[in-house]
Amino acid sequence: MAPGLQSLKHIVVLMMENRSFDHMLGGLSATNPRIDGIQPGLSNPDTSPAARPVPPQPLADFQGQLDPDPDHHFPAVDLQIFGGDTTPNRKANMQGFVKSYFNQRRDRKHSQKIMYYFPPEKLPVLTTLATEFAVFNRWFASIPGPTICNRAFAHYGTSFGRVDMNLLYVNGPFKSIYNRLISAQPKHTAKLYYYDTTSSTMEITNLLQHQPELFGTYPQFLEDCRKGALPEYSFVEPNYNDHDTDGGEEIANDQHPDHDVQAGELYIASVYNAIKKSPLWPNSALLVVYDEHGGIYDHVVPPPCTPDKFTASANATGTGMPFAFDRLGVRVPAILISPWIPKGTVVDRVFDHASIPATITKFFLGDYSPRSPRETTADIFIEPQTGPVDPARNLLSLDTMRKDCPDFDA
Amino acid sequence: MVLIHVPRPPKGAMDPHRPVNALLQAQMQHLQDAELKLPARLQSNIYINAIKTEGEAGEYIRRVTEAIHHAHDSAAEKRARHARKRTGVIDIAAAAEDRPSRSAGRGKAKKRAKKKSIKAANKKSTRDRKG
Repeated sequence: MAPGLQSLKHIVVLMMENRSFDHMLGGLSATNPRIDGIQPGLSNPDTSPAARPVPPQPLADFQGQLDPDPDHHFPAVDLQIFGGDTTPNRKANMQGFVKSYFNQRRDRKHSQKIMYYFPPEKLPVLTTLATEFAVFNRWFASIPGPTICNRAFAHYGTSFGRVDMNLLYVNGPFKSIYNRLISAQPKHTAKLYYYDTTSSTMEITNLLQHQPELFGTYPQFLEDCRKGALPEYSFVEPNYNDHDTDGGEEIANDQHPDHDVQAGELYIASVYNAIKKSPLWPNSALLVVYDEHGGIYDHVVPPPCTPDKFTASANATGTGMPFAFDRLGVRVPAILISPWIPKGTVVDRVFDHASIPATITKFFLGDYSPRSPRETTADIFIEPQTGPVDPARNLLSLDTMRKDCPDFDA
Repeated sequence: MVLIHVPRPPKGAMDPHRPVNALLQAQMQHLQDAELKLPARLQSNIYINAIKTEGEAGEYIRRVTEAIHHAHDSAAEKRARHARKRTGVIDIAAAAEDRPSRSAGRGKAKKRAKKKSIKAANKKSTRDRKG
């Protein structure tokens, strides 16, 4: 077996907020054509029919541009993906982003900012990690909709039929990935680290309310890294709001518009540094991923997928059409980090957030049921330690651990 | 090994007076649903529809999150106390089984005392008769 896989004992997932792949990493394709980012010829129609199409432009700023928060609820994302076509045989074309943003402020010039992307040098942390380790060309949000239901896929492999932000109660047979691990025999360890109690978690209705012992804070995460005491699976959340504490000001670092993107860069670097400086670095892998695109432009059409066993009604979707969870959401940035991954790895296989519990379950528990149809068919990003390993699929493929991984002064 | 410089956000980037976004609103609603199940003494008494800024939202989120932890910690403490008490009862019972039973001992002592008092009474009546 590959030594990287053999030594892997800890998997950490950091899930950020609301940015699309093209917006954050699309600029990288100019220097690395294997990364499927911004290419010449891409555009969205302007809301004034006489005007020229709006191309993506490298003018994204850290804060102040995406106000109001671009709509990313189900009907708006449907418009962004299908360009406003509601006919039965419609085809996704990613032509409705400008139209959707225009609907919010009726300001033509402002609506064009939804096409802006970051030049790579403005995001030194995310673009360095993407080029140093493994970047995913085809990691999609699980649902063409907002945060809560997309994050549910990362915890349960399903959203239990929800496509919105409403309360989500587990009423199905599918356990959270944390419960699967801690109730297994032999027992495994898992924890969700929220930033602090003032930021808290987005998984309230099921986990925080009933199992608060599963949670820790970001300072505890740092301490667990330092002591080499991380659980086998860790899910890390960012700070979702600007607030004051006894220790001073805590700036939101989730990168949700209109929160400062640089604060998020610092946070990603801090999580990476904590693991890299930990005695567990040779035994760890970190996935940095975004929950959904936040209404911001991406050019890749989300592919169809295995339907979930749930259906959202036409009323629930708000589009007049039911949704069988048979299409993924818009593409998001995703990067897998480990000293055993060759520099410059680009992954073209299709993933979504159901791949997170799918991978963790397969890696730590092996075969497990019941799991949602979406999770059962989701691809895994870390191969299991048992059984033969397909070298073409194994991302932790180096024979010796890298010593040239970057450091950040965060 | 390369050291990459990470620029810090400008001072003005932080704004606790920023209006709450849809995500924070949803988070507060979820917390309110959880809060309603807490004991009344742990509830925040904050009307979430009146919360307009991130700073205010953060304060509410903190209070309910801490209250949830507190409620679970108190319940766990109580459970542990009960368990300790139960363990204590079992320990005493086990120790008692190892010793001669207290009631049996008490019975013997009673018998001994009774015998003693009968003996004394007999002695007294003999003395009286002699007297």
